[in-house]
Amino acid sequence: MATELVRMENINKFFGRVQALENVNFTVYENEIVGLLGDNGAGKSTLIKILSGAVLQSSGKIYIHGKEVDIDNTTDAINHGIETIYQDSALVTQLSIARNLFLGREPLKGPSFLQWMDQDKMNVEASRLMREVGITKNIPPTTPISALSGGERQAVAIARAMFFDSDLIILDEPTNNLGVEETQGVLRFVRSARDSGHSCIFIAHNIHHVFEVVDRIVVLRRGEVVADDIDPKQTTVHEVEEVITGMRVM
Amino acid sequence: MVANPSQAKFDKAKRDSAPIDSPSTLQRFIGRREFGPLVLLIVEIVVFSVLSTTFMSTGNISNLLAFTPEMGMMALGMTMLITSGEFDLSVGSVFGLAPIIMWTLFNQEVMPLELAFFVALGFAVLIGFFNGWFVTKLKIPSFLVTLGMMMVARGTALYITDGFPQRTWRAETALTEIIVGDFYIGDFRVYASLLWFILFAVVLGFLLTQSRFGNWIQAAGGNSSAAHARGVRVNRTKIMLFILTAVMAAYAGITSSIRVSAANPNSGTGYELEVIAMVVIGGTALMGGYGTIIGTILGVFILRMMRNGIVMIGIPGLAYNIFIGAIILGMMALHSWLERRHHSGT
Ligand SMILES: Nc1ncnc2c1ncn2[C@@H]1O[C@H](COP(=O)(O)OP(=O)(O)OP(=O)(O)O)[C@@H](O)[C@H]1O
Ligand SMILES: [Mg+2]
Repeated sequence: MATELVRMENINKFFGRVQALENVNFTVYENEIVGLLGDNGAGKSTLIKILSGAVLQSSGKIYIHGKEVDIDNTTDAINHGIETIYQDSALVTQLSIARNLFLGREPLKGPSFLQWMDQDKMNVEASRLMREVGITKNIPPTTPISALSGGERQAVAIARAMFFDSDLIILDEPTNNLGVEETQGVLRFVRSARDSGHSCIFIAHNIHHVFEVVDRIVVLRRGEVVADDIDPKQTTVHEVEEVITGMRVM
Repeated sequence: MVANPSQAKFDKAKRDSAPIDSPSTLQRFIGRREFGPLVLLIVEIVVFSVLSTTFMSTGNISNLLAFTPEMGMMALGMTMLITSGEFDLSVGSVFGLAPIIMWTLFNQEVMPLELAFFVALGFAVLIGFFNGWFVTKLKIPSFLVTLGMMMVARGTALYITDGFPQRTWRAETALTEIIVGDFYIGDFRVYASLLWFILFAVVLGFLLTQSRFGNWIQAAGGNSSAAHARGVRVNRTKIMLFILTAVMAAYAGITSSIRVSAANPNSGTGYELEVIAMVVIGGTALMGGYGTIIGTILGVFILRMMRNGIVMIGIPGLAYNIFIGAIILGMMALHSWLERRHHSGT
């Protein structure tokens, strides 16, 4: 495959005496969507939380573009180009789409001693980005997030990740609680993110959604990687289900 | 059952391509959170003007405008703080303590008045910093932290003075003139404090709505963990706002002491709740995430005019709290109703 983007090596994670991850090796290449599958409690969220800086590994190393990095907090992760999208939680619902997109990186104008936000620029860019991720509805960029549907919120989060050139966009169960149409929307955003050169980690319990969008499937079982190169085009949903439950070895 | 699927599809496509809402200017104006308070203020002015012949007299209006900026400055600071998701119960005590510090230092001839003024403000900075530090670093709710600070500051003022008011009449300096000197426009008496209030309102309004700092304030109050994840310095933002609130309260207290020529260690008692009421009546969300300086100005006038007006029309001033309480309840009901209507509407 192509160039390596992120590599996690021999990751172990203990929560007290519970071992959530055991010697996990996990690689994401450039320009691919990886589906991360596993039963409840398999360790999927823990693994990606280590990448996004929300949880610290007990041992193991993380490499980005082949260089070892420390990811101690969410800011570190974002600075390394890793963006995590949870349902809702990453957006400020009271603020507008544009203000959320640029939160923490607001474009400024005015003399250096008295600067204010360039809200025109923010709004123009926000409109363009929303169209880019495939929101065809004409939603004004000044609309507060609280007025958006779950799928549209995901779109804003994905648009933000794309705009700020995150190399890796992590989506942990982004289609939960979404209707059929909204889910299709999110899958479309994920594809458009890959097509514009980003990589994604996609976690979902609905295997069919995963099959629809990913290039490669990695399966975790009780904290261990049991398969890391399943090609969804050459495998059936049923086979993958058996790998997840431990009835089949791949 | 869809009778004509292609028609339904067409309708849907039309719905999707149409802007979700393109409200007229009027609709947008009515939808603003400041609209309710604005209507209430107008109603209040109309009712009081009809029922009392002196309410709109120049004498009464300049009277009203004398004290209003002092409460108003506190409310401005509080608006910024509440928008960030915190609030401060110690402002009334700081309002009392700061002038005590200033006048005690001056009267005891420890230092000139100008220096004492900055020392008093310096104390306010410390108080605000402590509040903010306890809330953000020790993760103690602002209710408890500022309740404690309210007692510490009040107790300090009482202890310094043995409970007696401080003399303030010895000084009529450039400083006191700048802060709250009076002048006349016709027979309309204006205090400089009104101009300061307007200036502060413009600056803070700009800061809240146009600046990056303002964006951070709203984000901190709306979803602090999301804001933090975007690199917003949530704690620093909040600490700065606690300092701002305390300094505004101190400045207001000093203004008041000069204007009434008395620094009473008990002054400002109970102001904290009235100030918070002004802010939320104006439309700022008590839980943070949304704040409006214009709304706060309306809220300040709503409550100050109520206090002034009911006396003018002959209702005993003791009944004031009944009206204030009713206004708070009424406005909260209105805001929550608008909120729910807004959410079900989209
Ligand atoms: N903060 C925590 N403290 C203690 N144990 C934890 C914590 N977080 C996760 N665990 C444990 O680690 C294991 C893996 O959890 P994780 O959330 O990673 O699973 P998951 O694969 O995401 O599951 P799901 O599909 O249900 O979301 C579980 O046994 C869980 O109980
Ligand atoms: Mg999970």
